Amino acid sequence: MSLKWIGAFLIMSGCGLIGFSISAAYRRQERELRELISAMEYMTCELRYKMTPLPEMCRQAGIERSGIVGRLLTNLANELDSQVSPDVQSCLAVAAATAGPLPNRIQEAICILGASLGRFDLDGQLQGMESVRGFCRDQLERMSANRDVRLRSYQTLGLCAGAALAILFV
Amino acid sequence: MICAWKELLGILPPWLAQEVDKHGSEVLQELRLRLGVPPQLICKRNTLFLSREVTMNDLNFCVNTASRYSPWAANSMAQGYITAPGGHRIGLCGEAVMTGGSMAGLRSIRSLCIRVARDFPNIAGKYRGYTGSILIIGPPGSGKTTLLRDLIRQISELEAVAVVDERGELFPQGYFSQGKALDVLTGCSKSVGIDVVLRTMGPATIAVDEITSEEDCNALLRVGWCGVRLIATAHASCTRDLHCREIYKPLMRTKLFTHIFVLRRDKTLYEERMEP
Repeated sequence: MSLKWIGAFLIMSGCGLIGFSISAAYRRQERELRELISAMEYMTCELRYKMTPLPEMCRQAGIERSGIVGRLLTNLANELDSQVSPDVQSCLAVAAATAGPLPNRIQEAICILGASLGRFDLDGQLQGMESVRGFCRDQLERMSANRDVRLRSYQTLGLCAGAALAILFV
Repeated sequence: MICAWKELLGILPPWLAQEVDKHGSEVLQELRLRLGVPPQLICKRNTLFLSREVTMNDLNFCVNTASRYSPWAANSMAQGYITAPGGHRIGLCGEAVMTGGSMAGLRSIRSLCIRVARDFPNIAGKYRGYTGSILIIGPPGSGKTTLLRDLIRQISELEAVAVVDERGELFPQGYFSQGKALDVLTGCSKSVGIDVVLRTMGPATIAVDEITSEEDCNALLRVGWCGVRLIATAHASCTRDLHCREIYKPLMRTKLFTHIFVLRRDKTLYEERMEP
């Protein structure tokens, strides 16, 4: 009898954990998007005032940011410094591959960034960064719509699915 | 001889860097890359072509690495050159983009001329005691910048020298040794920079490389006879050339420079004194 209860508990807590981790990933994605916006803001200021070369700018932006965005920018700075790839887009691809699994929305933002970074003059570059910021803001807005309800439902769904499975199997 | 060889190899595509490295920094003076043609290596005594053809990717690689993937930082691209780390100058040719009558940049690059920056300390040792302004002239590739660099270094051991290094190739940071009293303003046009250093740095000598425009000459004339000595370089094969070129005529007429060093293609030099 007690084994059945333990089994039911494990199924429920396993499914619940999945629900909670989905909502945590959702929050993490929001945080990463905010980090990316702040990195773009920092880089825009650096460009406007100092016209800092890309490797230094990415390194500095990477140091000041946490999570996957920080890692990505630091990797990009290293890749640019190593002068192995022919252009920024390929450097960015290598940096993204070594930074760890990127959330979908961040991946899309990185694609937009890669299309403009290091290709244009100051105005073109600033516009490119602005379009990345715009994309991130847009994504954040979409994510914030019914955010709390959605997060609660992920968690509840996980727990309910666990309960249903427990009833079925136990 | 000092040369930022590793930096030069760093801006070349890996296959080309390997080939170029075989020749060594001692002999290579210039490297010319033209789209669809094998690279041309101009060495001290001979010129040779490698076997593999240069592709658009190779040219883009060189330009991107030399500008550190930052076209906005290398704003000299609109003037047809980039200065790579180590002071190597890369001349660019291709399809120009024109805005308002002036060149705004290059749409596609078709050839590069990479000139290897070299430093020969003490070649100008015997000129360090010279008084009065000095003009170094010579045809392209005769060693004007190399002589100027050492002359500045020698003089800056004795007095304050301010250098307006528009191209950033005279004293790239961390590569060539500097004199004790040397102030370098880089990335600024000569016509603006000369006034800036005169007002702010209190120099005994102001040095500039390659005076090529009327604005440069006017700036030199503005600070001439201000109690500051001038050192400059110009493209000309002899003093007669200077008299013939319209932009240099005011400099020659006013006898702003008291010494003229004339460099020949074989790197030898003779001196002409302008009587005041």
